[in-house]
Amino acid sequence: MIYKNIVCTLCGCLCDDIEVVTEGERIADVKNACEFSRSKFLNHAKDRAKHLIKKNGKLVEVPIEEALGEAAEILKKADFPLIYGLSSTETDAQRMAVELAELIGASIDNTTSVCHGPTIQAVQDCGAAKCTLGEVRNRADLVIFWGCNPAEAHIRHATRYSITPRGLYTESGRKGREIVHVDVRETKTSKMADIFVKVKPGRDYELLSAFRAAVKGYDVGDVAGVPSETITQLVEKMKSCKFGVIFFGLGLTMTGAKHMNVDAALRLVRDLNDHTKFTINPMRGHGNVSGSNDVMTWCTGYPFAVNFSKGYPVYNPGEFSAVDILARRECDAALIIASDPVAHFPAQASEHLVRIPTIVIDPKINLTSLIAKIVIPSAIAGIECDGTAYRMDGIPLRLKKVIDSEFLPDREILKKIIERVKA
Amino acid sequence: MNYMKVILISGRTTKQGISLEMGKTSEEYSNNVAVIMMNENDMKKIGAKEDEHVEVRTKFGSAVVRCKESRIDRGIAFMPYGPWANMMISADTQGTGMPDYKGVEAKISATDKDVLTIANVIERIKEIK
Repeated sequence: MIYKNIVCTLCGCLCDDIEVVTEGERIADVKNACEFSRSKFLNHAKDRAKHLIKKNGKLVEVPIEEALGEAAEILKKADFPLIYGLSSTETDAQRMAVELAELIGASIDNTTSVCHGPTIQAVQDCGAAKCTLGEVRNRADLVIFWGCNPAEAHIRHATRYSITPRGLYTESGRKGREIVHVDVRETKTSKMADIFVKVKPGRDYELLSAFRAAVKGYDVGDVAGVPSETITQLVEKMKSCKFGVIFFGLGLTMTGAKHMNVDAALRLVRDLNDHTKFTINPMRGHGNVSGSNDVMTWCTGYPFAVNFSKGYPVYNPGEFSAVDILARRECDAALIIASDPVAHFPAQASEHLVRIPTIVIDPKINLTSLIAKIVIPSAIAGIECDGTAYRMDGIPLRLKKVIDSEFLPDREILKKIIERVKA
Repeated sequence: MNYMKVILISGRTTKQGISLEMGKTSEEYSNNVAVIMMNENDMKKIGAKEDEHVEVRTKFGSAVVRCKESRIDRGIAFMPYGPWANMMISADTQGTGMPDYKGVEAKISATDKDVLTIANVIERIKEIK
C-alpha cells in the first residue's frame, strides 16, 4: 500500500509530502523524507514499550487495566502532581492532558519551557511580526538564521521553505535569496549561507541591540566580535530587502539573557518594518510543540507552565515550569507524556522523578521509562493513529494513520485514566 | 593535571537526532551523544587525540566522554543534547523555566576513566535518595 502526502511529525517543519510504502504490518519504504524522518518511520516498531509496573524494585509486565488503574490511583492521591511533555503527541491528547490536570489540581507544562519558553515570554512582552512558511517560500528575499542550525535540526526547511524553493515572487529560487547565518560556531547551516557572522558566546543581546541602533542610523563600532563594517552592511541589506525574515533557535533562548535576547530580536524586526516588510519566526523543535502551546492556550489561557492547584489556571514560568518544580522537589507524583525528561533535563532536576511515583506514557522505551513506576505504551501519532499537529508557524495539519497498532492512542489512554480518577 | 577552561554549549546534531529514533538504549545513541567537539589546538593543549576520553567538569557536575575534533573556535566546546551533557548543567533557571543549556563554564582534561554507558547512567540516577 502506498500512502501519499503523509505528514511527518518529527520536527516543527511538519513536511506534508511524505510517501509511505507499507507491506502488511510493516513500513517498507519512505520517500521524500529527511534522515530523521526516515529513521522515525522505518524504526517505528523498534524499542517499543510494554505495560509495566515496578514491583519489588523491578519493572514487571502487567495487563493494561492494572497499569491504568494504578496510574489513576497515584494521580488521585497526589497533593501536587506534575503533568509534563505533550510536544510529540497530537492535539486531542494534549486537550485530554489539560482536562486531567484540572481534575487533579496538577501543574501542567510542555517541553516549551526548555525550548522556546523564553520566546513566548518575549512575545508576551512586545509582540511578534510573524508570517507563515508559505509566505517565506513565496516572498522572502533575505533570510537570516540566528542561533539555529536547520541543516542538522530542520533538514528540509531549506528546500521546502527558506533557501532554494521557487515561489510566486521568488521565481529564481536560491539565486534570488540572500542567506545570512549568525551563530557562535560554523555549522552545516553556515555552508548554505552567503554570509556567516560569528558572534561571541552569550553576546547575542548586545549584537541585536547594536543592529537596532544601526537601523536608527548610529555608528555602533565593533560589537560582540562582529566588525562594524559587517553590521553596517547587514543593516543595509535588512532595510533594502523586499521581504526579510529572521528564523531563530535555541542559541537565543538557552543562553544567559534568554527572553531578553528574543525580546531584542523581536524589537529589531519591529524597527525594520519602518523600512520594509520584515518578519520573525522561532524554529520550533518537536513536531507538535507549537500545538501544545495552542491547545494549552485555548484551554487555560496560557501556553505552558500552568498550575491548577487553586482550581483555576495560574501561569508562572520559573514557578510552574517542570525543571523548577522537579529541582525544588515539589511534586509528589509525575505523569510524563510523549517526552523524555531524563534524557533532556539537567540531572539535578530529572533525579526527582526517581524519588516520586512517575508514570510514563510513550510509544518507545525511553530513559524516563527506565526509572518510572508505571509505563504505558501508546500508538505513535501520525503513523499508528490520526490526529492534528501544529506546524512551527502555527498552521494545523491533519495527521494520518498508515499502520495498525496494538497500542491505544495517547488520547484514549488519558480518557481512561480520567474515567478512573473520576470513579 | 593539564586542563583547560572552555565555554560549553549543548545542541542538536544529525547523528544524535537519528540515533534517538533508533532507541536511546542503543549503542548508536551512546556513541553519538557521549562526545564533546573541540578545536584541534585545544585538544593538543590537554593532550587528547581523536576519540580519546576526556573529563568535563562544571560547578554542577562532571562526565567522561570521547573527544572529537571540530571546526569550532578555541575556548568553546560543543556536546550533543543528552544525559551526559545534562550532568553538567544547572537546574537553576533564574525564574525563567529554562536552564542554561548553552554557555556553561567548564574545565576539560584528558583521562583514562571510562565513558559511562547508558545503563550506568540510569543506575547512577536510580541510586539517588
